[in-house]
Amino acid sequence: MFARKKWASIFALLVIASMILSACATPTPEVVEKIVTQVVKETVVQKEVVKETIIVEGTPQVVEKEITKIVEVEKIVTPTPTPLPEGGFVTSVTFADAKILNPILSSDSSSSWVHGFLFEGALNTDPWSGETIPGLVEGWTVSDDGLTYTFTVRDGIYWTDGTQVTAKDFAFTYEALMSGELETPRLSNVELIEKIELIDDMTIAFTFTEINCVALPDLGLGWLPAHMYGDDFTDIMENDLNTNPTVTNGPFTLKEWVKDDHITLVRNENYWQGAPHLEGLIYKVVPNQTIMIQQLKTGEVDVGGVQPQYLVEMELQEHLALFKFFDDGYTYIGFQMGDPNDPQPRLNEDGTLNEAHGIHPILGDKLVRQAIVYAIDRNSIIAKVNFGQGAPLHANVVPAVGWAYNDELEPRVYDPDKAAELLEEAGWTDTDGDGIRECHGCAYAEEGAPLALNLKTNAGNEIRENIGVIAQDQLGEVGFDIEFEAMEWNAYLGVLLGQTFDMVIIGWTGLGTDPDDDLFWKADTDIPDAGFGFVSYYNPEVEELLQTAKTLPGCDQGERGALYKKIQEYLYDEQPYNWLYVPRATWAYNKRIGGVDPGPWTVWHNVHEWYIK
Amino acid sequence: MTRYMIRRLLQAIPTFFGITLLTFFIVYSAPGDPVLQQTFDPNVTETTREEMRHAMGLDQPIYVQYLNWIIGNDWMGDTDLRPRKGILRGDFGYSLIEKRPVLDMVRERVPATLVLTFTGVLIGYLVGLPIGVYAAVKQGGGFDNLTRIMAVLFNAVPGFWLSLVAILIFAVKFREWGLPAIPSGGMYTLTSTGVRTFNLGDRLIHLLPPALVLSTGTIAGISRLMRTQVLEVIRQDYIRTARAKGLSDRVVNFTHALRNALIPLATVLGPTITGLLGGAVITETIWSWPGMGRLFVNANFQRDYPVIMAGFVIGALGVLVGNLISDILYGIVDPRVRLE
Repeated sequence: MFARKKWASIFALLVIASMILSACATPTPEVVEKIVTQVVKETVVQKEVVKETIIVEGTPQVVEKEITKIVEVEKIVTPTPTPLPEGGFVTSVTFADAKILNPILSSDSSSSWVHGFLFEGALNTDPWSGETIPGLVEGWTVSDDGLTYTFTVRDGIYWTDGTQVTAKDFAFTYEALMSGELETPRLSNVELIEKIELIDDMTIAFTFTEINCVALPDLGLGWLPAHMYGDDFTDIMENDLNTNPTVTNGPFTLKEWVKDDHITLVRNENYWQGAPHLEGLIYKVVPNQTIMIQQLKTGEVDVGGVQPQYLVEMELQEHLALFKFFDDGYTYIGFQMGDPNDPQPRLNEDGTLNEAHGIHPILGDKLVRQAIVYAIDRNSIIAKVNFGQGAPLHANVVPAVGWAYNDELEPRVYDPDKAAELLEEAGWTDTDGDGIRECHGCAYAEEGAPLALNLKTNAGNEIRENIGVIAQDQLGEVGFDIEFEAMEWNAYLGVLLGQTFDMVIIGWTGLGTDPDDDLFWKADTDIPDAGFGFVSYYNPEVEELLQTAKTLPGCDQGERGALYKKIQEYLYDEQPYNWLYVPRATWAYNKRIGGVDPGPWTVWHNVHEWYIK
Repeated sequence: MTRYMIRRLLQAIPTFFGITLLTFFIVYSAPGDPVLQQTFDPNVTETTREEMRHAMGLDQPIYVQYLNWIIGNDWMGDTDLRPRKGILRGDFGYSLIEKRPVLDMVRERVPATLVLTFTGVLIGYLVGLPIGVYAAVKQGGGFDNLTRIMAVLFNAVPGFWLSLVAILIFAVKFREWGLPAIPSGGMYTLTSTGVRTFNLGDRLIHLLPPALVLSTGTIAGISRLMRTQVLEVIRQDYIRTARAKGLSDRVVNFTHALRNALIPLATVLGPTITGLLGGAVITETIWSWPGMGRLFVNANFQRDYPVIMAGFVIGALGVLVGNLISDILYGIVDPRVRLE
């Protein structure tokens, strides 16, 4: 990014220079001595004196004439008055308190937000591209066999107690996860690590059991200060440091945490990228969405997420700036393709195919699934339910992962006639005239069985409940009999993972920057009550492609991208999900904060450069 | 009296165990799984989930889990689980999500909850009582009718709605109009250094709005109860006797009638005490009040079993103690009730 800005400023200088040369009457631009960091377009009123030759009474005469033009010029600004104002607090608001301030034990987004400012790790995410970039390490090298990653830790970084940050901290953090002493969702991060080798104080090598192109981000967890813990890892799980981390390495340190109320972080004077200009950050918990929005309006809080239904109200607030970006996730309708009355694992214990795995009498047929996709108007769901904040999606990779997103799939746009046609083709016709189709020569159901399905979602999620009502209605129009039910979240999860549903409305979030999502499609995740392959999708070719793309030697992005595009073609054709949309999220922040430079993958990446205007 | 109390206390013990047994089995057999709650995440594998369930002891038979919770597992010798002493020895376990002692989590929220609920109840009684008595004395008058309408309104209007309207008007609109506005939630204003300090005025302005909303139900209930009671009492023979003896209205109403009318309040007080501890989850949520109601409701959604159970134990103790206090108070205020 820095490089990009530098080029931009050089370009701007050229523009300015050419303006000086070309326009004689423009005022001399101010001499820019400071480091130029930004180019802005500005509308300015320019007065120009032009010489015109006019013919007065037969004789040509040269007259000077002043004209006024409104032109758009690119102007170099130094957006920052130097020195920058120091001090002040920025208050961020959210609905849930953090749970635990330990980067290897937490699993909720509130906790990650807070400990992200306290504990930095080896890797960061580029805020614009989503690529994995070095954090506390200078960089890394990959061995020829693609199994070993060697990292060099940056010199001159210190914990807040003065101890130097070294590769030992990196090693300690991951050895703790591998020790068997911890129960945490982050155990998934070390499943493929074979060994960790501390080469010297600043160099460390991680060896994986197999080539895995998505393993690198797994090494990005924040580091724990190794010198604060015992060597046997038994004191991590229930340590007071999890609530009151006293030794940290991030831009801020913890000052006060009143549970369910607020967390106050203050600046770390010795932060390796330079002490933050802000005195601190306050993380305020406001559990009610309406009140949260009101507090953003009154200025009681500065930064917060805005749900689509409040967007218009927020856009009218002059003191708020809005930043919108597409999420790395999607909302979808999942189709049960196995038998919901007798859910079976796809594979036997020995890895062979389980013969008892049934097929869904209605949704087992690809044509019916495609018909459902045609029958539901996704654009109107986005417009009406999500207030226009979303983009339709046609397969399993979101557009934010540009190198793997297949933009050549022809969207199955709303077309009830086409849906009816597909249903006829699949053997579902309405012969008794009751508006509901029956099976007459369909693939898997009994002759005469009605086209009746249940559709479930979690109660309390208004957006999904509204989608359910629309889907029920629109599917009814093409001859389905849909029983829609919104269930309590825990009961819903039971039905979902138990694979006893016909259709579900749900979403994935946090898919990350890599398109790998084999947990949803592979046969070994199709286990009732225990896997994310709950739609019982099975296609050996896709399985093969997923495996190849994940374990491609060299992990070349171009080659992997081509494989994922191929996978999207299969999934688009077979529609195990009806991908509805990628939601667009909005962050609102008070314009009194300067230096904010949000990217779609993170708004907070340069928080140490923020200041109060 | 002492014998009565001892008997009641002894009776409370099996009741307490009955409550814990029942709630434990209901809570643990309700659909849901604290591990899946934390790991419904495309980056977490099933292997990880199983390891977590095992380490939390969730893969054990439910009666073993109950025994571990009651009497602990530290005396059992070799086990994969972390040692626990059990609730009988004061160990309520660790939160499955926050990995902290449940008692700490409860303890840090008790003051906030008590301050809010106690103030709410206090306002309710202080306002509701005189209203009820006065309405009864002036039965059928304008004040009586007015307070009847008020009681119906206060009972019918949901607290969350009243809270939202109050915030929209007194916190948001007042600020827009440049009038002195109330805070829209929280317990205090943070100082310029980002910490809380104790400032009575600031605490009161944060406390009173939610407490007032919370008191509306009590005002409605107590005023109606007192009105009925006073009306009933002033028709009693001993009141007529008092009047016949020539006592003034004032003495009759306040010395003879009021004292007798207060007796049923002793019955109401028991459940009120239980309510004080349980917190007021809706009020706490809307006014961003960091109390116990929110803790227990969140724990329920996340299936954080040890925290949910702590909530039930506190609730059970509250009911038992509240009823005991009610009974004892009854004996004191109404000598006709014999406790032996």
